[in-house]
Amino acid sequence: MNKAIFRYEVRQRWSSVAIWAGSLAGLLLMFMALFPSFSADMAAMNQVLENFPPELKAAFGLNALNLATLEGYFGFCFVFCQLCLAIQAANYGLSLVSVEEDELTADFLLTRPLSRPIILTSKLLATLTSLLVTQIIFWVVSLASIVLFKGEAQYESRGIMLLLGSGLIFQLIFFSLGLVISQMVRRMHSVTPWSLGLAFGTYVISAFSGILGDVKLEYLSPFKHFDPGKIIRDLQYDTRLVILDVVIVIVAIGVSYWLYQKRDIASPS
Amino acid sequence: MRMYFRELKAGIKSLLIWTVVIALLIVVAVVKFSAFESSPESLAILDSMPPQLMEALSMRAFNLTTLEGFFGAMFVFFALMGAMAAALWGSEAIAKEERDRTVEFTLVLPVPRRQIVTAKLLAALTNCALFVLFAWLISVAASRNYDPGKSLFDFLRLEMLAMFMIELVFLSLGVLLACASKTPRRVGSMAVGLILGLYFISIFAGMHEKLSWLKYLTPFGWFNASEFFSSGRFELYALALTGLAVVLFLFAAYFAYDRRDLYF
Repeated sequence: MNKAIFRYEVRQRWSSVAIWAGSLAGLLLMFMALFPSFSADMAAMNQVLENFPPELKAAFGLNALNLATLEGYFGFCFVFCQLCLAIQAANYGLSLVSVEEDELTADFLLTRPLSRPIILTSKLLATLTSLLVTQIIFWVVSLASIVLFKGEAQYESRGIMLLLGSGLIFQLIFFSLGLVISQMVRRMHSVTPWSLGLAFGTYVISAFSGILGDVKLEYLSPFKHFDPGKIIRDLQYDTRLVILDVVIVIVAIGVSYWLYQKRDIASPS
Repeated sequence: MRMYFRELKAGIKSLLIWTVVIALLIVVAVVKFSAFESSPESLAILDSMPPQLMEALSMRAFNLTTLEGFFGAMFVFFALMGAMAAALWGSEAIAKEERDRTVEFTLVLPVPRRQIVTAKLLAALTNCALFVLFAWLISVAASRNYDPGKSLFDFLRLEMLAMFMIELVFLSLGVLLACASKTPRRVGSMAVGLILGLYFISIFAGMHEKLSWLKYLTPFGWFNASEFFSSGRFELYALALTGLAVVLFLFAAYFAYDRRDLYF
């Protein structure tokens, strides 16, 4: 790893991390501030729901998320946070090395006396640091907002911890997928459409199943792998899917190293 | 005129990709609808779903066993996709010149800047209109199997009009961002951030009565599928706000681009 690159990259992402973490915090505080009034109305509803057959409730994911409880409500909000986290991570992955080519700084960087793997490693670690900082801020704000607004509610802290813990690997999937995509296309002019497609596409796929019940297609979406409803209900991750995700991350990053090593860099014309 | 066609040609690929995506969305959704159509008991559970939750997901008042209700529940996705496509097209059209370093070339042509913005705007607008049109055609085609009645077509027309209105707002917002921003590279992210923010605001507006005024702040709140589903028309304020926003954004965009310093 090269310290100069690392430091430069971290500094480059500093304002972006601040903006993302700030908006996440705002979103979460806003959501949690609504919890006290929300939960009061929900308690009555739940009694009605008790009488329905379990298959029907399953079709709507209602047995998973009990919105009257704090962890259920937090899970409901967490989906929206996941969406932001996914876009951020995909952005970082897609632009990690492609930005150099787009800004015509690639030839400057690559003529340094450093091998490409070292450059990639430095950038990778710098971005991982940025993602980790985002996560830490997110954890702190989540816990703070829960303490602030929980009122009388009792809650199961294990479920919340599991949810928060899933954030990092969730981001890593989008980050590594973004990275490998950016290495597979010849030239990436603009990152936004790609990251939107990646994050929103998978979000819509999993949101669909929320409204419409079961279909196997959903397992294509990382949002489904870390479905807050399921995590809250089972109080554990789906081990097979998590292993699958870890494998995806490792393979994607490995392939990126390989592709970057032999990449033909477009020169400024 | 030539610039308009040049821009149109440059945007075809993007339009095609968006169209394919929305086509997939509609087809998959309609296939899933078949599961609902035959099971009226799923209605009962929808009725019993907490109203706040339904409101938050803008699914209230939809009978998911009918095709109308089903497309109503889908409106959120249409609106989001339309907003994103429009905002990206609007901002890309202006910002790409600076990103690809072609802006000097374009601006030394014997054409006033205003005219350049107009040509790009019209091209993006054409894209938006085509996008809605395709979404409409695909929806109609996809629902043919279910023996749709006139009420479905009426509702679809309304829904697609609403999608177009939302596109108009975000198209002009995207153009404004690109014209006024000093960092064209960031414009895409800014547009997406704004869209997400406005979408979340519309969710908040539905979650609590005291927050319902928030809906006046966001186009996703102006055009609420459950509202125009039951009333069969758009609220007057929604149309007025749309017009106001579009005029305001475009005016600011032209104003900013005329005075823009182009060193980057």
